[in-house]
Amino acid sequence: MSGNSSKGGITRRAALRGALALCAGAGGLGSLPARANTTIRWWSTQSSPEQLAAYRFQIAAFEAQHPGVQVLFERTSDEGYPAQLAAAFAGGNVPNLVTHLPSFAVADYWHAGLLAPFDPVIESVGSDRFFAGTNRVYEIEPGVHAAAGIGNTAANMLWLRTDLMQRAGIESAPETWDELRAACRQMQGRGIYGAQLPYARNSATSLVIVCFIHGAGGQVLSPDLDVAIDSDEAADALEFYRSMRELCPPGATGYSWGETLSAFVSGATATGLYAGRVLVNVNTRNPRLAEHVTCVPFPTVSAEVPPWTFNDYPSVFIPADAPDQEMTRRFAAWLYEGEGYIRQLHATPGHILPVLQTAAEDERYLDHELVRRYRDEIALMSTSAAAGHNLGWESPEHRINVKAGALVNSGILAEMVQRVVLNEEQPRTVLADTARRIETIMNA
Amino acid sequence: MPTIRAASASLRLRSLDARYGLLGALLIAPTVLVFCTVIVYPLVSAIYLGLFSIYTPTMEGEWVGLDNYRRLLASGEFWRSLANNLIWTAGTLTLQIVFGILVALMLHRNLAFRALARSLVLFPYFLSTVVAVLVWRWLFNDLYGVLNHLLLWAGIVDLPVDWLGSMPNAMISLIFVGAWKYFPFVVIAVLARLQAIPDELYEAASIDGAGAWARFTDVTLPQLRDVLIVVVLLRTIWDFKEFDLIFLLTGGGPIIGTQTLPLMVYKEAFALNQMGGASAAAVLMMLIMLLFMSLYLSRARD
Repeated sequence: MSGNSSKGGITRRAALRGALALCAGAGGLGSLPARANTTIRWWSTQSSPEQLAAYRFQIAAFEAQHPGVQVLFERTSDEGYPAQLAAAFAGGNVPNLVTHLPSFAVADYWHAGLLAPFDPVIESVGSDRFFAGTNRVYEIEPGVHAAAGIGNTAANMLWLRTDLMQRAGIESAPETWDELRAACRQMQGRGIYGAQLPYARNSATSLVIVCFIHGAGGQVLSPDLDVAIDSDEAADALEFYRSMRELCPPGATGYSWGETLSAFVSGATATGLYAGRVLVNVNTRNPRLAEHVTCVPFPTVSAEVPPWTFNDYPSVFIPADAPDQEMTRRFAAWLYEGEGYIRQLHATPGHILPVLQTAAEDERYLDHELVRRYRDEIALMSTSAAAGHNLGWESPEHRINVKAGALVNSGILAEMVQRVVLNEEQPRTVLADTARRIETIMNA
Repeated sequence: MPTIRAASASLRLRSLDARYGLLGALLIAPTVLVFCTVIVYPLVSAIYLGLFSIYTPTMEGEWVGLDNYRRLLASGEFWRSLANNLIWTAGTLTLQIVFGILVALMLHRNLAFRALARSLVLFPYFLSTVVAVLVWRWLFNDLYGVLNHLLLWAGIVDLPVDWLGSMPNAMISLIFVGAWKYFPFVVIAVLARLQAIPDELYEAASIDGAGAWARFTDVTLPQLRDVLIVVVLLRTIWDFKEFDLIFLLTGGGPIIGTQTLPLMVYKEAFALNQMGGASAAAVLMMLIMLLFMSLYLSRARD
């Protein structure tokens, strides 16, 4: 427990301030400025140059309104945050505020008693300003929110190159896996690969294969969180994923989110699985493709199985041991305010989608070149993300899985993919083994 | 009276001895304190934590005795990681020693721009591991990497090679990059020793009819023996517990094809949040290293 905790009695920080004020008074130095030297440490996994510029704007405006408060932004990453936060929690040196972590990570930390309730911030922002149901995934215990959404993300959209489709004579976007594989085969050639799926031993592969298992009509865990991965549907998903390997670049065995994005944006692949960041990256880094990209829901095994959108529900939360809780809550609420929030959304149009209805309808948000230009794609991603799920909440019937973070971080799912694809092991054998390993983590 | 004087003198001497003893203890106290703080405490902590099941973020847990050790020793992952550790250490160390001696011999000769060459050869060792890995990842890249580009251009391969994502390529690439990064250490040590070998030994060998190879095996290598024992000892310890280079280059993959024990410790501690299991793995790793070092030093002494 931090010495700065405000849970009952006089905190160490308060005692120190009192002693300093006493010394200053005794020495005739006058009173210290109120809230001098308050530092808010803010961690985020989202830190592209455009996003950093938006954060700087929000930080400067907040600091101007709160003299004596300094906000320090510190980067973390999708692959690196589990270790960094574990060390921070263990060492008692936690940041004040963490943003953009997936909802299943929030559930894990909340379950361990490491987070402060976020309801005061939601009330401060205005709970009626959020889209209905947006924060449901953070209500791990009834009536209490562990966090709030700062955005939505439709992370597994199928991105297509319309120019390559046209050249290959493909008239419509694929809707089933067979159509997708055939389209990728037709578009592959002249130095361009058909797809860019990740096959590495990392969280990207773990999260993507969950999408395919649901795309086959299966699930990793049942609604009551019993292990359900050892199924025909999951075997179909692995078989299909293996069949797509020959259509991906050789280095896909090392791809994480960044590499999959670069492969599509650079024009090295004809299709891509990614979220809306494709839009800004194509327009800034490879504008010749800007007219030729579009997205659709990721195909499923057949028309009977509806698309399953992976929304990691990017969050905002406050560690329970973070100092200056009141000021931190104010800053957390500030992130949703007016122009600052819209600048955040505009930093990656379509990638971080608004969770505030008021922001989504705000003329300032709609009046952006990329938002106007890709209106249909962004509308589709918004609809898909709103109905999205992830390993922490696989369907509306599922209970929140507080072990999802541990499952992803363990690498069990990624290893399952690599065993089937790289070692050419039988999917059913691997699934049986994977089910046992998942069971161990769920029961731990 | 003489008896009293002798007793008094003896007492003074003992008192002096006691004071010297106290002074000695005071003088070594800072060293002992530092030793206890930076070596004994972490070591005892690791052994102690290894007896608990601890959730890393809260550092709270319960006593499990030797369960962590039993679990690790019964898991195939531990033994695979140990095997990977031995393959990596033996492979990269061998290359480091061979390259290091060859380059040191070359730099010992009278070459043009010898001083510049000596400076440049140290470059990989001084380069940050993160930067070195980034550079190598680019060289190995399937779409834009120079290595694949050259191989394709020369017609040696039809498709880009997956250097880091498939076995055995990943382990071979890792061993090679490790050798490139750390061979300058061998060069520094061997070059310093080469400069201290008396020329008379080579002259005598030449007079006895020894050729270049015989001079190397009969004069140079025996003279390098002592320094190589130290170099091999140090580099084995450092390579055995290498983390950053492997973690950044392959992350231990594919599957656990390049996962060594330090990566397994990290995975237990921060991916699975099992600090007790991580501590137990770290203690086992230390014991294994101690065993190998003892064997090596006893053989070296023989």
